[in-house]
Amino acid sequence: MRQPVVRCVEFVESVTEWTEGALSDDDRLTIEEHLVVCPHCTDYLVQLRLATEVVHEQPPEAPATATRTALLTAFRSQRDSR
Amino acid sequence: MHAGVDQTEADDTRLVAALRAGDEQAFGGLVDRYYGVMLRVARDYVATKEAAEDVVQETFLGVIQGIDRFEGRSSLRTWMFRILVNRARTRGEREGRTRPFSSFASGLDDDEPAVDPDRFVPDGRWAGFWSAPPSAEHLPDAKVLAVELGDRLTQAIETLPPAQRTVLELRDVRGFSSAEVCELLDISEANQRVLLHRARSKARAVLERYLQAGRP
Ligand SMILES: [Zn+2]
Repeated sequence: MRQPVVRCVEFVESVTEWTEGALSDDDRLTIEEHLVVCPHCTDYLVQLRLATEVVHEQPPEAPATATRTALLTAFRSQRDSR
Repeated sequence: MHAGVDQTEADDTRLVAALRAGDEQAFGGLVDRYYGVMLRVARDYVATKEAAEDVVQETFLGVIQGIDRFEGRSSLRTWMFRILVNRARTRGEREGRTRPFSSFASGLDDDEPAVDPDRFVPDGRWAGFWSAPPSAEHLPDAKVLAVELGDRLTQAIETLPPAQRTVLELRDVRGFSSAEVCELLDISEANQRVLLHRARSKARAVLERYLQAGRP
């Protein structure tokens, strides 16, 4: 492969700045150029996106039952006092 | 609706109407969705877990009492988290705790690389290019993986430095925007990005280890 300006080790550290749109135009272009020539970093990006999607599927941490009950009781009594 | 899905304005309008009408299920849903992450945000301002729990409870009571006055100029969740942060900050100051994001600083200190350096060519013309590259062949669907990988990923998220974990949960689980996260946590865009980067990089590493070990 033709050697890109950005090395893979730099790509994996810059990828979030790239996905977050925080790079200058020049830096953005060098990252995108890297992706065009480097199938491994393309695979890395696919894994990163998949991991983010899996994280998104995580259920929230529920409160303790007693806490939840107390809050619902407070909600009911406020409602009934109106 | 999945708990992680972004709240839209229409959802907000419906939810606010339901809360004002005294819909218990709507309120319970809000508690289930946000209690955990609120606790973590509060925890950074106050000295103990118990104090953080108090703050979150007070916040929900504040939501109950204030919902009639909610004007919809921000999203409902932004409004809730502002109540939370105000209360947590007040409580922390009363405790004499100087916050400036103690745990947020620690999440930035850890400068572990995103990928094990051994996986790159050490020297020569190709130094810094992959020697042991990742593979994206035969990747399962995210929903399937979420079931298979769920516990492992949850454990990995739990061991992240608190700041990384909070940012990951707000951004990727709860779907907050980077601007919302920066405002709520009072951190710069750059710091927010670093925290998110470290957390996502670790989540990817967990995923890769799992895929390499061979799925059942
Ligand atoms: Zn590469």
